[in-house]
Order: sequence, then structure tokens, then C-alpha cells
Amino acid sequence: MPQTDTATVNRRDFLKSAGAAVAFLTALSAEPERVIASTAQAVNNKPLTLESSEGADVIVRMQVELQRALQKKPDERRWVMVIDLRKCVGCHACTIACVAENKLPPGVVYRPVMEEEHGVYPLVTRRFIPRPCMQCDNPPCTPVCPVSATYKGEEGVVQIDYEQCIGCRACITACPYGARTSDFGYTYLEGAPVADGLIAGQSFAAGYERAPNFEYGKEWAREEGSSPIGNARKCHFCLHRVMNGMLPECVATCIGRATLFGDANDPDSLVTEMIHRPNVMRLKEDHGTEPRVYYMV
Amino acid sequence: MIKKILYTLGALALLFGLYGFYTRLFIGERDVNYGSYVTWGLWVAMYLFFAGISTGAYMLATLDYLFGISLFKGTGKYALWGALVTMPAALMTIGMDLGHMERIWKVYLQPNFFSLLAQMVWGYSLFFVLTAASLWFAMQGRRDTAMKVIMVVGLFLAVFLSGGVGALLGINANRAYWHVGLLPAQFPVFSLASGMAFMLIIVGWFGVVEEARRSQLLWVVGLLSVVLGLVKVYFLWADFSQSIYSGIPDNVKAVQLVLFGPYAWAFWGLQIVLGTAVPIIVLVQPNLAKNGAWAGLMGAFILLGFAVARANIVFPALAIPELEGLVAAFTGPHLNINYFPSLLEWSVTFGVVGLATLAYILGLDRLPFLSAKTEATK
Repeated sequence: MPQTDTATVNRRDFLKSAGAAVAFLTALSAEPERVIASTAQAVNNKPLTLESSEGADVIVRMQVELQRALQKKPDERRWVMVIDLRKCVGCHACTIACVAENKLPPGVVYRPVMEEEHGVYPLVTRRFIPRPCMQCDNPPCTPVCPVSATYKGEEGVVQIDYEQCIGCRACITACPYGARTSDFGYTYLEGAPVADGLIAGQSFAAGYERAPNFEYGKEWAREEGSSPIGNARKCHFCLHRVMNGMLPECVATCIGRATLFGDANDPDSLVTEMIHRPNVMRLKEDHGTEPRVYYMV
Repeated sequence: MIKKILYTLGALALLFGLYGFYTRLFIGERDVNYGSYVTWGLWVAMYLFFAGISTGAYMLATLDYLFGISLFKGTGKYALWGALVTMPAALMTIGMDLGHMERIWKVYLQPNFFSLLAQMVWGYSLFFVLTAASLWFAMQGRRDTAMKVIMVVGLFLAVFLSGGVGALLGINANRAYWHVGLLPAQFPVFSLASGMAFMLIIVGWFGVVEEARRSQLLWVVGLLSVVLGLVKVYFLWADFSQSIYSGIPDNVKAVQLVLFGPYAWAFWGLQIVLGTAVPIIVLVQPNLAKNGAWAGLMGAFILLGFAVARANIVFPALAIPELEGLVAAFTGPHLNINYFPSLLEWSVTFGVVGLATLAYILGLDRLPFLSAKTEATK
């Protein structure tokens, strides 16, 4: 009968729609796909190409150790950074290198260098303290995220999934080190005068700022309204470089070799040697955050 | 007369707010003054404020629909309507604060329930549904078991959501000013006080109960508002005196910022004098306390004091840098600790206040089940 047919069709349509809706919601509610899970896909199983010899630059030694660490499973390595405050001269090269590497816009900084002055003339000392993300083993920033956009990767580096982040800044508020900043969408060349006839005018130079960065192993073009604009951002130990066998940019740039990086699970690594010395400290240890950045004093 | 004034003020506030809504929604978040150090600003404070009124109004509605206290008979539906209107206002202000507000659906479909923020989003959504359901039942004049069950669950949620707001701040162990066990315990009291002040306004200005009961109701609600305001002052004393005495630097700096900082005038002038002392002066003069216009004004002052109090909880804790030398180490937009809301932030705030005011009065005038007994104060 017509009425029954209509009812059947309606029921079928309803079931189809409901099925589609359930499938849609299931797809949405699935665990967000991580941009970069680890450096597992990096240079594993590639042959070692570098060698270090007695008396070689620590950069070469760390490079060799990095290659060695990348042969291991991700959860078997433990990336740490060691900053020797006695060697830091406060040149800010690491800050600038980080800005260049990650194409950081105004207002976003991953590795500022803090300056402290102690005493009264003539007994005055100055101290420079670079402050990357501490990559805490017990990070206060991750549990507060309402959408699990920030998490600790299997190698222990705290990461941000830019496409998952809703920009609530709860993680920035929770960080005891002020190590996160919010990207409000600025560029350095905004408002700069456009001078015709110059070899490199504003538009040419601005192209550099619009070029993508490669954080977390993915290209992030700087486009209005899309991530990482509107997100929390932070230092990630240059995972995208590490996964390609390169040291973090701040380490590679440090003119005094004050910043060291490596696998603390490797008993022969430089960082292991350093963090077991007695003159090592970590910032705000009383907070129980277990930072992976060590300072030598 | 008062309604006309409120219609005019609400419309003007909304008009001013249009600039903020347009700028925030179509241009972006750049013109705000909060940032990477003072991460939460006026909009978060207003979220706490509106959420406090909403949950507080719901608590008061239970005096009518759950506990059946005769003095409050007939006020429940007006309180529920207030709760329903102010909750979206709270969510609007907090929504504007998000860097990617278009991704809010992720909190529903991909939540991290260990996060208090996610718990709050879910809790407030459930609370909004319960408030709507309560109002629906109230419209039908129902006071049966089903209504009471809803009100019990709603009351439970109202208390815990209020406390949750305090916990949202208090769990940040790095902020000494917030990280006190008492903070989540204080917020339900703040909510109840906000609800009382709101009730003073609706009874005093809109005359939602018959004349014979009105002056007695105003007196009781006024008295309770002042008592709760004094409890709030006691909490302040406990927090501030302990902080200063113990001398933890970050905590002391934050307290000093409130008491003697550049915006101390807001604390002393608006929160203490206007929001606490003036209501006491009104209360001790029975003629004023039982007068609708004065009682409503008293409620408005108390609410203003609570808005400032919320700001004085949020901003100072964030204005103390996490590490010495951090602020000077790198400069740029939104990297400073001296916070005062920008024009955009004020605009959105006024817009939301205007919208909520207009929505509430329009409901009183246009919704049949609310307009029946509503009379503007002559």
C-alpha cells in the first residue's frame, strides 16, 4: 500500500542517514592522527657515514652519536640537552638560528636567552641562561589540553599537533618555564614600506616569511587563519632535523659549543657524560617536572 | 522606566559590541592585549563572571522548585531564564578567546577527559540542556518528581561546575597565587552570591513577585547577598594575609599587584567600596533595602564588584613572569606582562553584556509564561 511503501522508504532513508551520520561521527571522533609520531621513519638502518676521532670538535662527536642513536628503536633513546652556562657568552645566535629554522613570526620565541646580573660594582657578574622547552618527563602542559593536541612523543619530546590545537592557551598557562608562546599571525615585514626599484623589495623579502617551515616533519605554509597561526608553539628539539640526522639548529649554531644534544641512554654519549657530573642542575626541580634540559654551572 | 533604560543601555552596549564581534570574527585576534605571558584576559574573567551568574541563578531557582520555600515562590522561572541567558554569554566570551574557535567540536568528539577544560565544556553543555529542560517544565507549571530530579541534578552540576572553574585555575601549580586548595571551594560561594545579586535585580527592578512579599524578599536576598559578600572578603583576607606572611615571592608580588598595583583603584574602588561597602550601607537602611530601585542598584553594584573580583583572580597570577629575565629576553607583540584590556576586548565584553541584557528583558516582555506577572518598577 502506498502508505506502507512510504513508511518503508522513509525508514530505509532514515537508517541510511543514521548510518552515514554514525560513520561521520566515528570518523571525527577517531584518535587524531599524529603528524609525527617519532623519528622512527628517519634514518634508521642507514649506514653510519661519520667518524669521530680523539680531539675532534664536539659537534662532530655529537653528530656521530646522533647517527648511532637513530639506529635504535625510538623508545630506546632519550634525547636530552645540556647547556653549559660557563661557556654561554650571550650572543643570542641560538635564538636567531631557531627563529630562522622554524620561520618564527614576531611574538613567537622558542629559545630566548635570559640575562641575569648579580652583585654591586665592582663585584658584579652576569649570567646568560638560554631557555628552550624543557621537554619535561612529567609535563604539566599536556594533561590540561582539552583535545590532546599536545603530548609527549615516544622519544620524550613534547609535541604539538597544530591541526588539533584549538588555541585555548591552557598549556601556555600551565608551563612553569614560560616555554610556550601563542602565534597571533604577525609577520616581520608588515607595514614595511614598499620601495619600487629595489633589488629586494618588501614583497620579495616577505616571501621568505610566507615560505613553509618543516616543524614535526610537515610543511606548514604561513597562511591567514590556518595553523600554526592561532596555535600554541614551542621548541621541539628540532625533531624535523633530528629525524634527518642533523643536530638541533641551536646546537649547530652555538659558537661556544655551550649547547649539547644527544641520547642519554647511550652510555658513551657526550650528554651522558655531562649530566652525570656533580655541577649539573635543572630549572625548578622542586616542581617535579623532571626536565630533560640540564644546565652546567 | 527601568526597563526602558536597560533596553537603551543594552542596545548601546550591543552597538559598541558589533565592532568587536566583527573584528574578532572576520579580522582576528591581533588587537587583543592578552598574549603569551598574560595568557587569559578580560574574556576569560567575563566567562567566570557569567558562568557564576548562571550557576548561581540556578541554585536560587531550586529554592522555589526543589525546596519549595514559600518566600521564593514564583521567582524560580525568572532565575532559570537568567541562567539560560547568561550561560551562552559565558560561552561566547570564552569562545572568542580561542585561537581556533572553529575547532570547538573537537572538544566534544575528541576530548581529553583528563583535562579540566574538556570536563568544563561537557559539564556546561549538560548544564545548559538541564537548564532548558527545567525551564520547559517550569513553563508547564510542573512541580512533580521529574522536575525535582532535574533540579537535584542541576543543583549538583551548578555547585561542581562553579568549583571546577576554581580548579581550572588552581591546578596550575606554577601559579602560586592560584594554587591554593581553597580556590575551588570559594567559587560555589561566589556563584551563589552572584545569583543572589541577580535576584535582587530581577525582584527589585522587574517586580516579579506580588507587592506584599516583595519588600520582605528584597530584605532577605539583600541580607544574604551582603553576608556572602563578607564571606568573600574573609576569603580574600585569608588568601592575602597568608600569602604576604609566608613571603613566597611570586605570590606576594601578585597580591601586591592587586592591592597597590596600577589597577588597585579597581580593587579598592569597585570591588571593595562599590561592590561590598555600598551594599552594606544600603542594607542597614531598611527603607532603601526594601525599595525596588535601590535593591536592584545594590544587586548591580555587587555584580560589578564580582566582575572586578574575577579579573583580580585571573590577571595578577599571570602578570608575574615564570622566570626572572624572561620578559626582557625577547620582545615582540603579546610578549608583555602589563595587561589592560584593549578596545577590542572591551567592545566584545560590552556587546555580550548588552546582548544578555536585551535577551533577558525581551524574554520577560515577550515570553508569555514570564511576562504574565512582570511589572516594571514604577
